[in-house]
Amino acid sequence: MASGVSGYAAISTRVRAMYSDLLSPQDMTRLSESPDFASLVGALKSTPYGKYLSGLKDNELTPRRVIHAIKSRLADSYSSVVQQAPEQTRPLVKQLYRYFELGNLKAVLRSIQTVSAWNPEVQTWDRVREILFPFGSFSTIPAQAMVESGNVGSAVDLLRGTPYESTMSFAMKRFSAEQNLFPLEVALDLDYWRKLWAEAKKLSGKDREMGTKIIGSLLDMNNLMWVIRYKVYHKLSEEELINYTLPFGYRVRDEDVRAIAAGSDIAAVVSRIYPNIPDVNALLDNPTVGLPKLEHALKQQVVKTCVNAFIGDPFHIGIPLAYLLLSDFEVQDLIVLIEAKSTNMADEDYRPLLLKTVVV
Amino acid sequence: MFFPKEMTEVELIIPSKDIVAVAKVLSGHGVFHQVDSTYLGLENLGPSAWQDKASSYSALERRIQTIMQTLGVEEEYPTKADAESMVELDAITPSVNRIDEEVRGISEQLSNEKKRLELFESQLRQLEPIADVKVEVGALNKSSYLHSILGVVPASNISRLKTSIGRVPHVFFTLREDSQKPVVWVLGPKSNADVLDRAAKSAYLNPLSLPEEFAGTPEEITNTLKREIEVTKKKIVNLETSILAVADKNKSELQKLLWDTHVSRVMADAIVRFGQLRHTYVVVGWVPTASLESLTTKLKNASKEVLIETTSITRSGHHDNVPVALTDNKWLRPFKDLITTYGRPSYGELDPTILLAFSFPLLYGAMFGDIGQGLVMMLGGFLAHNRIALKALQSIGLLFVYCGISVTFFGFMYGSIFGFEGHYVHDYLGFDLHPVWLSPIHGENILSVLRVAIDVGIVILFLSYLLSFFNNIRVKDWSHLIFGHTGVVAFLFFVCFLSILGGFLGSTPIAPQIAVAISKLPLPFNILTPVFALGLMFNGLFRNITEGHKPYIEGNIAMFLVQSFMDLFEGVISMLSNTLSFVRVGAFAVAHGGLSLAIFALAGEEADLGFWITIALGNIFIIGFEGLIVYIQTMRLHYYEILGKFFHGGGMRFEPLKLKPSQEEA
Repeated sequence: MASGVSGYAAISTRVRAMYSDLLSPQDMTRLSESPDFASLVGALKSTPYGKYLSGLKDNELTPRRVIHAIKSRLADSYSSVVQQAPEQTRPLVKQLYRYFELGNLKAVLRSIQTVSAWNPEVQTWDRVREILFPFGSFSTIPAQAMVESGNVGSAVDLLRGTPYESTMSFAMKRFSAEQNLFPLEVALDLDYWRKLWAEAKKLSGKDREMGTKIIGSLLDMNNLMWVIRYKVYHKLSEEELINYTLPFGYRVRDEDVRAIAAGSDIAAVVSRIYPNIPDVNALLDNPTVGLPKLEHALKQQVVKTCVNAFIGDPFHIGIPLAYLLLSDFEVQDLIVLIEAKSTNMADEDYRPLLLKTVVV
Repeated sequence: MFFPKEMTEVELIIPSKDIVAVAKVLSGHGVFHQVDSTYLGLENLGPSAWQDKASSYSALERRIQTIMQTLGVEEEYPTKADAESMVELDAITPSVNRIDEEVRGISEQLSNEKKRLELFESQLRQLEPIADVKVEVGALNKSSYLHSILGVVPASNISRLKTSIGRVPHVFFTLREDSQKPVVWVLGPKSNADVLDRAAKSAYLNPLSLPEEFAGTPEEITNTLKREIEVTKKKIVNLETSILAVADKNKSELQKLLWDTHVSRVMADAIVRFGQLRHTYVVVGWVPTASLESLTTKLKNASKEVLIETTSITRSGHHDNVPVALTDNKWLRPFKDLITTYGRPSYGELDPTILLAFSFPLLYGAMFGDIGQGLVMMLGGFLAHNRIALKALQSIGLLFVYCGISVTFFGFMYGSIFGFEGHYVHDYLGFDLHPVWLSPIHGENILSVLRVAIDVGIVILFLSYLLSFFNNIRVKDWSHLIFGHTGVVAFLFFVCFLSILGGFLGSTPIAPQIAVAISKLPLPFNILTPVFALGLMFNGLFRNITEGHKPYIEGNIAMFLVQSFMDLFEGVISMLSNTLSFVRVGAFAVAHGGLSLAIFALAGEEADLGFWITIALGNIFIIGFEGLIVYIQTMRLHYYEILGKFFHGGGMRFEPLKLKPSQEEA
């Protein structure tokens, strides 16, 4: 089993090279200064994303297609890291990558539920394909067949033999009774994060330390946002909140989640866990505006953890994981920019949503 | 034989009293294609009583069919089409009711027992996870103070479920440890039922429902269910035996009732489409002229006062409303099916079945020539046609026989038997076989085979043009005869095109001899070619002029010129591709030899058991795989290169009134 210097020599060099290709704050500023969507795409062509956009003809440059092309770079990064990661860490990286398959699965199920509202002249699969992450050969779900099956029950039947079969078999009873995708999506999320955490915990030494730190930071953000959203928006009961959240994480502990579920002051709990996030009280006063801002602040905590992973000993899985998460956040920023420019959104409305600092 | 059957239009005026007798004659002989003539009747007579009768007969027929289906009795009609007269509904309904009641009693019991069995089996499946539990969990459901939830939960949710109910008093049992589907049992005070239920639901606990009618532990209930299932199965067997007995007892009566009702329904349906006058009915339809006399005699026997007016329809001109009855020769049936798959000839049009009967096996055999494989194909076709084996291929069995004959013939021409050619025949089979014509696979012969294939194609294309002329002359479509896409001008341009092709290819071995011969004719092709090219280019304009369609030119002149040029361009490309398309006949003959060589390469040289097994499997592969490909290629040549030249189709199917569904069109 390769680990330490021998296991990480190649991947560490490769990841550092890819890391240097991530967009700088100056690049983001330049992109955000594009006056419209077409100019933004033009500017993107001169970045490392250019080669992914070159396949699109001018008349095909819709925001959705550009986003799809940009995600292809992230898919390539994941494929590259999965292939080069030391054997013992590969299951963790693969499970992390499955996050996008999970997103695809949810998108497929949502499309089936809402298909009647779409333009009937556009083929359903053609419509859905563009919003799916370009997961390639890693994908285990028969997305097209599921969309074409026309109903959630038949689509879920097609998941037989995939990692989602068991989870869906339990959740489908509730879907059948409630005709709502919420229980399916929650079950899928919980299953995904449990498996990811279990893979991180299987590692040893520095890999385990950095793996649980980075994965745990991401999990903290999700777990905390779930319990807050379910409580504030869905008004779920204490027992439901406990069952719909996870009892582990890096900084967020089960007691914190249960305290929020039991009715403790959310701002106090969040401030205790993240003392450096300012004005949590103010954010939670108006949840509609405040919760996205809180989520943004939590994401920045993850970004900080990822950036710190590059300091010090370079021979552990933390660096590839950190790079992948940073790439993902970069893509999220670009999606914000693309959507903002294609809808002519004012600068002050979208700039606070960007994770990478824009120099104004 | 070369044309659809000649048809006569028949108009009948029938006295009201004779309509049943006339309907019986018209329905019973399978030669009368009825045309809806209700529009000829008087509107002020109100709705016809026959409409209701037809609906009642139809409903009764369906009811009898349902009874027969329940009893498993086959729907058989009498061998001879003895059309009895129409039976009265009142006369047969009591018999149907009697049998229906008898059947319904048993079938309802059977259906209930089957549902019961299904329920028991489903309950047994549900109990499976806790079948070995010895606690009476069901009794707690009836408790006044305790709330009980028993179910299957994802293993990963158990700990969270326990945490989520930590604030209320409860007891939690894991009845079965299972990494996939553990069974848990949660008990708590009735007052906390809502908390427990919410927790169970949000932990994705799927409750198990125990059958309320059975008491005891899951183990006891499981045993009781198994006993009940056995008892129910026995009951089902007994009821099915009773059904068989009822079926045996009533089979012949049901078949007679079905026949009587069916005949009455067909006649009533026919009468509904008669035009009703005050004291008479008007009937309009089509009869093959050859059957007119016998039908007329029968009609006059059925009604002394019937008035019959007939109009014979000649085949010239356009007759879209005349139904088309094709000659039904059982030996030509496979070719007729190939034609009708492409299109049904219109009334005045040449029926290309005979042409296809020659050309299809010819082209097929030329592509696949092999004595042994041809004989196997003939045998397979014979067995399929006579439903001895390969029953699924019965409809094309005869086609296999014809193609097999042709394949065998070309096998002699090419000197090939089961892929053995030349000295291989002598070395392995012990006799000599020399090609009557040539062996396509040998180097010097390959180009000759391809050249001959193109020449044959040119002859077939000439024939197709001539048939197109013939069809246009018959329907007196002069403008298409001269300026159509397969008209005289197009044909002459094709000849000029061949002269250029012949001159261009000259003395090369691939040069088709017909084209070369045409190029040597003492004609001024350098003048004729542009003249006919212009004719082809502006054929649409010339057709508009000859037919008097205005405006002669649609759209602006520039667009017209571009379009005309594109027509010419397309015409030239089509002629080239049509001509070269026949190269495939030679190419497949060569490929067939090549495939056989490949099998021999796999088999090796030593004539041991492995060699013969490889040869046998290779031949099966060639017959199956190449046979199918050649079939598709032959169809393609016919549909695209040959039929497309002269055959338009679009004829209306001749659908005579008939009593037996199996009765084919006349």
